[in-house]
Amino acid sequence: MNNRVAIAPVRKTIRVNAPIAHAFEVFTSGLTRWWPHNHGVGKKPIQKVMMEPKLGGRWLEIAEDGTQTSVATITHWEPPHRMAMIWQVNAQWKPDVAMKSEVDVRFSADGPDATEVELLHHKFETMGAEAGASMRKDVDGGWPGLLERFAQEAGRNQS
Amino acid sequence: MYVSHNLPLVMAYVNALAVLADPTRREVFERLRGGPRPVNALAAGLPVSRPAVSQHLKILKDAGLVEERSEGVRRIYSVRREGLAELRAWLDSFWGDALDAFKLEAENSYKSQGSKSPVRKK
Repeated sequence: MNNRVAIAPVRKTIRVNAPIAHAFEVFTSGLTRWWPHNHGVGKKPIQKVMMEPKLGGRWLEIAEDGTQTSVATITHWEPPHRMAMIWQVNAQWKPDVAMKSEVDVRFSADGPDATEVELLHHKFETMGAEAGASMRKDVDGGWPGLLERFAQEAGRNQS
Repeated sequence: MYVSHNLPLVMAYVNALAVLADPTRREVFERLRGGPRPVNALAAGLPVSRPAVSQHLKILKDAGLVEERSEGVRRIYSVRREGLAELRAWLDSFWGDALDAFKLEAENSYKSQGSKSPVRKK
């Protein structure tokens, strides 16, 4: 048995009524057109969310005041079939380049006009690099405003 | 006490990850995955004192990852399965919403390209 706490991966699939090349392009280059702004991790309010569509490219949040926050780095680039990225968000859902959970997205054509997209978010155990003590302090001292916004979102989706 | 805000999902998510950030705590939790155990058994072989293990257990318990029961004078600890399930549920809804938004944009932009209309049924 390994010495890591396994957290079951999150696996989501969605069928898109568009060709595979279009789906891949919208997911990557077109990120700014669809990513929910309330899903951000950086400074608010968000002006733009974008992805640099290449190996080593970053997933960036750009706040209205110009602050840039890197959320992820692309580690696998195989258009239009697959892309994977290291999700650099820590246990406080804040950007942290030391974090290494992975988001792996695969696209498969289902005929000329439809695409199956499968998203796998895994390796959560690698998110545990941050010292628990400071975290504990934050938690005890009240939640950061960022998390409150997330909570509202999560609550909305659950109801 | 942990937090008093009514943030059940995010709270579970943040607590679980934060609490598991500590390597010793992770090791304690990992040992519990093999089955319920008393503190003595958990502490054996670990490079920290038994009181330290008890403290880790308390934190794991506060975060909803571990539960305890009394057996005579002993306290038996076990993994609380729901703890990790809550964490997953939050991430699940996070990506679910994002992908819904993606689907909408991909389909709308495809249609508006003036390309041939999408296939309606298989």
